Amino acid sequence: MNTPADPRVPADVRSLRTRTLARNRRDIALGTALLSLHQAAEALVPVAIGVTVDRAVFTGDPLALAWCTAGIVALFTVLATAYRFGARFTLRAAENEAHLLRVETARRALDPRGERSGLRAGEVLSVATSDAEQASLYTQAWARSIAMVTAIAVTTAALLAVDVPLGLGVLLGVPLFMLLMRFPAEHIARRSEAKQAAAAGATALATDLVGGLRVLMGIGARHNAALRYRRASARALEASVSAAASNGLYRGLVTAGGALFLACVAGVAGWMAIEGRLSIGELVTVVGLAQFLAEPVQGLGMVGQAFATARASALRIVRLLNAPDAVAPGGHPLRTEPVVELSGVTYKSLRGLDLSLAPGEFVGVLATDPRDAEALLELLSGSAGREQVGGTAAVGGVSVHDLDLAALRGAVLVEDHGATLFEGTLRSNLLVGADLDDPGLLSALRAAAAEDLVTGHPEGLDRPVADRAANLSGGQRQRVALARALAADPPVLVLHDPTTAVDAVTEGAIAEGVARARAGRDPAGATLVITSGPALLARADRVVVVDGGRATAQGTHESLAEEHPRYGEAVLR
Amino acid sequence: MSAAPRQTELLPTASARRTWAVLGEGVRASRRTVALAVAAVLAGGAAGLVAPWVLGDIVDAVAAGEGMDAVLRSVALIAVAAVVGGVFTGLGGWFVGRAGETILARLRERVMDRVLHMPAARLERVRLGDLLSRVGDDVAVVTAGIARNGADLVVAAATVLLTAAGMTALDWRLGLAGLCAMPVYVLALRWYLPRSGPYYARERVAMGERSHAMIGALRGRSAVRAYRLEAEHEGRVGDRSRAAMDITLSVFRLFTRFGARLNAAECAGLAAVLVTGFWLVRADLVTVGMVTSAALYFHRLFGPMIFLVMSFNEVQSAGASLARLAGVADLPAEPEPDTGRDPEDSSLRVEEVVHTYGNGAPPALDEVSLEVAPGERVALVGASGAGKTTLAAVVCGLREPTSGGVYLGGVPLAELGERRVREHVYLVSQETHVFSGTLLEDLALARPEAGEAEALAALERVGALEWVRALPEGLHTVVGEGGHTLTSEQAQHLALARLVLADPPVAVLDEATAEAGSSGARRLERAALAATEGRTTLVVAHRLTQAQAADRVVVMDGGRVVEQGTHDGLVAAGGRYAALWRSWQGAPAGQGPSGTPAALG
Repeated sequence: MNTPADPRVPADVRSLRTRTLARNRRDIALGTALLSLHQAAEALVPVAIGVTVDRAVFTGDPLALAWCTAGIVALFTVLATAYRFGARFTLRAAENEAHLLRVETARRALDPRGERSGLRAGEVLSVATSDAEQASLYTQAWARSIAMVTAIAVTTAALLAVDVPLGLGVLLGVPLFMLLMRFPAEHIARRSEAKQAAAAGATALATDLVGGLRVLMGIGARHNAALRYRRASARALEASVSAAASNGLYRGLVTAGGALFLACVAGVAGWMAIEGRLSIGELVTVVGLAQFLAEPVQGLGMVGQAFATARASALRIVRLLNAPDAVAPGGHPLRTEPVVELSGVTYKSLRGLDLSLAPGEFVGVLATDPRDAEALLELLSGSAGREQVGGTAAVGGVSVHDLDLAALRGAVLVEDHGATLFEGTLRSNLLVGADLDDPGLLSALRAAAAEDLVTGHPEGLDRPVADRAANLSGGQRQRVALARALAADPPVLVLHDPTTAVDAVTEGAIAEGVARARAGRDPAGATLVITSGPALLARADRVVVVDGGRATAQGTHESLAEEHPRYGEAVLR
Repeated sequence: MSAAPRQTELLPTASARRTWAVLGEGVRASRRTVALAVAAVLAGGAAGLVAPWVLGDIVDAVAAGEGMDAVLRSVALIAVAAVVGGVFTGLGGWFVGRAGETILARLRERVMDRVLHMPAARLERVRLGDLLSRVGDDVAVVTAGIARNGADLVVAAATVLLTAAGMTALDWRLGLAGLCAMPVYVLALRWYLPRSGPYYARERVAMGERSHAMIGALRGRSAVRAYRLEAEHEGRVGDRSRAAMDITLSVFRLFTRFGARLNAAECAGLAAVLVTGFWLVRADLVTVGMVTSAALYFHRLFGPMIFLVMSFNEVQSAGASLARLAGVADLPAEPEPDTGRDPEDSSLRVEEVVHTYGNGAPPALDEVSLEVAPGERVALVGASGAGKTTLAAVVCGLREPTSGGVYLGGVPLAELGERRVREHVYLVSQETHVFSGTLLEDLALARPEAGEAEALAALERVGALEWVRALPEGLHTVVGEGGHTLTSEQAQHLALARLVLADPPVAVLDEATAEAGSSGARRLERAALAATEGRTTLVVAHRLTQAQAADRVVVMDGGRVVEQGTHDGLVAAGGRYAALWRSWQGAPAGQGPSGTPAALG
């Protein structure tokens, strides 16, 4: 019931990070070393230019030129090679970590016991996708920050070697300048966030309107929609232009500030050169290094951001990984035939529910409150927490909480109203719980009144099912999900509102098909249908009315309709 | 629940020439801003050339043993250039951003306009995904391209051109030496692009599959658990994640080799400048300072060059998206027939309409004829696939009949033209869509000039006022994606309230009420009756109580009308409808004289 016993699950962000570094240590170490070497070589390029001007161009010595050129080629070789391999090692560490985190979060999210992280479904998805990626950037942030520090250190050393006071001046000046630039930069960041929000708003409106285009057409509102989009687009434009203005201001400040700083350095260095304290080459070197230093300092600022993003993502990952299980199942198998026995069950909105389902029985449940239906489904699918449930809820003579989850879900299949189909084909969807040949699948489809999906389609059972089954209508999705459940052929089948998206005629066909298919099972399968559809209820051997969290009436559809006036009202007719 | 149309076509993509032309139109429309932007960027770039040039002068001054004056003059020059450069760079960034964003805004508005006004016939043929990716992803890609890189790209390109010009101005031979790097850059690009293109395409596919696996598994968590598919889905996520990672790593290997080639180009150029400078200084053709300037110029180019080359991919993909946008923007605006004949009344006539979804498919409508008098309420009854929804769509002009005709007040739909048809016929379809925004904004789509009072009155008429009042901010509650989630019953209520606001003479209702549960369905039925009172109404009856309340019931099967009459008359006649009615009333199926309900389906 509580925290996962697995000690390998990191308990907090710090241990997640430690594990990240530990399990990618080779790639991170090599990557960091090589990227540092690359940055050092980059820092030495202006030095190389200075040395060449000083020793070769100024002196006119061909031998010196040859040496200098060879030196430059060697420097670039080191620079290029170090980057080539350093970047590879660093990326491999990040990709590998992202992969491991992705699989780990997916495994946690999919665990049969469920999780109580408090994250909504959409959030779990974003943890497993974008957060896994962001958190892994931690490896790169490390490598890059060390490389930047190396570059700054090399530049420092080179400048100090030329002249100590000048070097100190440059070293203090550049970070000071970058620090000053932080303030307008933060302002820009806010502006550009506003701009992105406005642009995203316009795009979201566009996709929303196009998503409802058929509705818009039906109501003749396309012109109004176009006007609304134009207004949103104008708002986005306004935000972009204002962001462009502040961006331009920043750009202008950085350009002017950088050049003014360079003028100062050049002035002082030129004065020192005239005084004879610097050689010409040193003068060039100082100017070149001053220009170069801005890069790693700026880069270090960006790495700070990367660390912050990675931390926020790591936090969410840790939260999901450490979420307590939703249920703590036992390990028992079913003791008897898969009979369902609920007696005096209290759970969520249920207030002492009695309900039984014998093998081969077809029972309809009419729940006046949808919350009662949800609670019953959670109970039967084994996703209700033990301590929240009162009374006895047993399947096959064992309490659902003591049953092994696989045994419970193997015996009782709950096909929820949500009807999620998976991307693939009709066949792959029907086969998720079954091992049937084509005639078997076709007869399941027939029982679900969904045969027209195959016969009316050139690809038949291989008809593609898109992501979210977007290429099927609501009624088609519902019937395919029903066929999938019938094909799985479980001893106990629990259906929830299986006919809400089909018309009365089809509902009649489905009621007949389901009853036949379940009776035709060997041994006959038990079926529980939670519905307010009259055709299904009429086909049931027995209907149980659940009102106020308990079973208030029981009988056949006809007798209930005659004896209980409220029953007639509650049945969807 | 009719079968989805099978013939799909993609929206057009513009040719490179048309894309440039569409872009050119945009540039012409904001000619002044573009001109200012170009001038400012060039001025800013030119000011940036001063510093390295003057640094060379300082070197020469030092070499010539001149005094501090020369250095101070140079420093002053750099400072002035710094300020000028800052001003123009800033203005340039602003103008480039403004011009680019304006051109883009006009383009996206035009695209959206074309998409929203697409003729019904074409809309039936294109895929929704294609439409969504044009107005969504493509716009976002182009926007990001312009927003993130637009100004930088223009500035970098200007810097490269101007710096090359500056080097040449120092001495043409030094400029030529710097150009040595060019072929190496070009070769690197030509080596990289053809190799990386397919890799990137594969990477996108692999990443798409990875997120599909992830999203599919997590979104269907309850089904995954119910069918005990955890291990299978986990395995699939792992496999696809690893496959995507492998591709990413091999793309990156290629990329780093490309990076090494770019470094080689830098090395070749720098060495060429220094060596050429050496010999030119020896020959006394240039000064040491000029060589220094040239080398500093070249070093300054590393950043912008790498940026330009690296952005190539992004520019390409923005270009591809732009071509897709231009293709839609180029669609002709739909002409409206302007014959003056208006419908005489609100009667509806369907004459021998045949509709076939695809070649060889059996007709969804087979010579259907139907007349609805003004103010009459007719219910369509039949199994899934009987043609009810198709008939509703044909009556609304959303599908063109393969043969036969539909007349509104005696005038053929085709003659009325799409806009006037919409003014007369209103469809409440099975598809409910709550448009994101406030509830009032959603309602106003039906009638923009509707005020709060009218909106409330419409809601009251359909009996939705109570729950709307109970919302956190009433009419101003934000609903739809990302806002307050409405139940399917509430969404239907909203659709009916829109109908009341639009107030058309003819209403076609094809709504699925069963999602709302039994009491909800009854409420919705009452709401529909109230909303359509006094209008000529065609109701696709998913529930037979809807048929019971109609003036006339039309039973369809296999695309044909098989029975029609009043509810009582048909029940008394003991035909198919009577059997349906009995089974609906709850009598066990199979006991009626006409066999099981499935006999109709």
